[in-house]
Amino acid sequence: MKYSFLIISWFTFFNSYGQQIDQDLANVRGRLDSIESFTADIVMDVDISFINMPTKHGKVSYQRGKGSKISSKDFIMLPKRGLDLTMEDIFKYPFITVQRGLENTEGVLCKVLNIIPTSEKADFSIATIHLDQNTSRIIKLQVSTKKEGVYTSLLSYSNAKTILPSLIEVLFEVSNIKIPLQFLGKETEVDKEAMKEDGAKTGRILLRLEQMVIVP
Amino acid sequence: MIFNASKISKSYGTLAALSEVDLICQQGEICGLIGANGAGKSTLFRIILGLIKQDSGSVEIQSSSPKPIGGIIEKPALYEYLNARENIKVFSEIQGIKVSAKTFNELMQEVGLSPDRKDAVKNYSLGMKQRLGLAVALLNNPDCLVLDEPFSGLDPMGIYSFHNLIKKLSRENKITVLISSHIVGELADLCDTLYVLSKGRIIKSGFSGEIYNSSVSSYKLVGENFPDMRELAAMHPIKIQGGYLVQISRKEITGLLETLINRGTRITACVPQSDLKVLFEDKT
Amino acid sequence: MMKGVIRVELFKILRQSKTLYALVAIFIIEGFVLVSAYYQGTEIIDLLLANLKDTFEFKGDLLNGNLIIYMILNSLWFHIPLILMIIVSGFLTSEYKDRTIEAVLLQPVSKTKFIGSKYLVSSLFTLLVVFLLAISTFGISYLVFGKGDLVVYLNGLNFYPTEEAFWRLASAFAVGTLSMLFFSLVSLTFAVLFKDATKTWIVSAIFLVCTNLLLKIDFDNSILNRFFYSKLIDSWQYYFYYEIPYEKIYINMSVLFLYCVFVSIAGIIVFKKRDLLP
Repeated sequence: MKYSFLIISWFTFFNSYGQQIDQDLANVRGRLDSIESFTADIVMDVDISFINMPTKHGKVSYQRGKGSKISSKDFIMLPKRGLDLTMEDIFKYPFITVQRGLENTEGVLCKVLNIIPTSEKADFSIATIHLDQNTSRIIKLQVSTKKEGVYTSLLSYSNAKTILPSLIEVLFEVSNIKIPLQFLGKETEVDKEAMKEDGAKTGRILLRLEQMVIVP
Repeated sequence: MIFNASKISKSYGTLAALSEVDLICQQGEICGLIGANGAGKSTLFRIILGLIKQDSGSVEIQSSSPKPIGGIIEKPALYEYLNARENIKVFSEIQGIKVSAKTFNELMQEVGLSPDRKDAVKNYSLGMKQRLGLAVALLNNPDCLVLDEPFSGLDPMGIYSFHNLIKKLSRENKITVLISSHIVGELADLCDTLYVLSKGRIIKSGFSGEIYNSSVSSYKLVGENFPDMRELAAMHPIKIQGGYLVQISRKEITGLLETLINRGTRITACVPQSDLKVLFEDKT
Repeated sequence: MMKGVIRVELFKILRQSKTLYALVAIFIIEGFVLVSAYYQGTEIIDLLLANLKDTFEFKGDLLNGNLIIYMILNSLWFHIPLILMIIVSGFLTSEYKDRTIEAVLLQPVSKTKFIGSKYLVSSLFTLLVVFLLAISTFGISYLVFGKGDLVVYLNGLNFYPTEEAFWRLASAFAVGTLSMLFFSLVSLTFAVLFKDATKTWIVSAIFLVCTNLLLKIDFDNSILNRFFYSKLIDSWQYYFYYEIPYEKIYINMSVLFLYCVFVSIAGIIVFKKRDLLP
């Protein structure tokens, strides 16, 4: 009998603790949720060792409930994850937060939180957020998705007040391309050593948002 | 002298194609070169025309014309996909001359071709191609014409008319003509002088009449009412259509004809027959 | 008089029906290559981007005129030199066969001028063919498939925006023209050496095959690796390096040009020295 009381207390304690979203995170969420729509010009640079791509330009438009749409007259490669500026995908399903303490991230002292979705419908298993408590903004986000691997986003802001970043750096893992040497290329001067390197590499995409217009 | 080939020699490996050949032609003269196949006629003509180089000897042409010598080697080489006017245009432009319509017409008439024909040369007969080849050779008014086996492949009428054309060019235009053949009869009455080439060497040369006559050793007699030719057994008479072939020298033929006429034979033709063995006999 | 000789050579080329057949053959081949490039293109893009599909979403169509032109460029450098070698060598071997070469040299025209004009006109013909090929390739590809970014795999994936892709492709055609010129001049020299059309074609085809094989071989000697003619033939590829090595291209083109001059002079000397035998 006394053990069942302890067990019930244990679960109640943790349940009540988990139902409480961290207040700082709630503040950030509240600010992000207040955005109804926004548009911006997007400037994209790809930094992956085996890809050479010039700076690309496009336009991004966001509508709450409909997500972001990016358009460009050029060919562009967009990271599947990392463009969720309003964190809709993170906050979509119920989750619990776990505090991981404080950490200096990009020169800012941040509160580090784990977000663990409690619904199986969520498309990520765990996310780690680095929050700037002073400005109520996210500085760094690392997400382990169920199907699209792990990615990290570093967010920079143009001023102290704005909630949406002006610079997003998305880091991810990508495997080198393996195709036959005779395929569409000059055969004799291929860097054979580089080709032999196996395994995944870290890639980086830099997205600059300019001329942003936010509709609250 | 307009043309002088002196001591021309040419060898291909161990084979001596030509050996110290001398040949002289005067202005307006028709010189014939007789030789069997493989005697070296074409080789000599190619050297004269500058297509191949001799091993020793020299070729001298006295001429102030920009094109001292023209020629045809064996069959005329023409651009078969072009017509006559275009061929003349091609061969004249490469030597820097412009042939007007008037000049073209005159040239065609000179060689006996119609200037109005527009179709490609591949449709021409051999005789017509020969004439067009001659027209090409005559472009730029050469002083000397070299014709290698020009009668080869022509029918008798073709040979006859080509004969007349060459004679006309030589007499009227004062062009020196050097002509070769392996058939004695083709050259005998056309040429002023004859050279006999055997195994790369000139073995006989002189006036064509003398050269031809010196090789005559039999006559074809055609007529009616011949007597019993067994009496002339020494002449080895052979019965032929309409007459006899008799072996007799030039000196004795007159006497034989008188005898036959006195006996009532009506002679309608007496044709000398050249003996090629005698003609090509090397007495040097 | 050289002008007259050159004019005559051009006239003869244009009047021969085989020139037309050859040009038609080239454009038919181009058509086949274009169609196969289109069907291959989708596969190629899928293969190139396979590893990235998990992480990236793609917007825009890479299967566009620029990629088609690039694929045509890659395929042309065997078919076209082969046809060019056959046609150009035919300019001389047909004259040997028809004996018109004798008829020409019986006129007061020097052997040097005659054969020199053949080399010049063959060069002009080659330039014209490649120019027409380029115009038709660009025209049809852009008309049918439109413009867009070009993706090239050369030590990695290189993406070029459409305007940049155009001048890279055009420059590659220009540089590739010199390679075609080299093959044409070599075939004419073979024609001088062998005279007979069939022998010349066989030797030319062997030469082309060997060149393509030698391209892939790494010699032990650095000078050979750098300046042997087979290593210079595909210099047009440098225009698809992200950073174009202009100096290397200029040096390669200069050396290849010297090869062209050498081959031509060798042919002229041999032709001049040789007797014109039946």
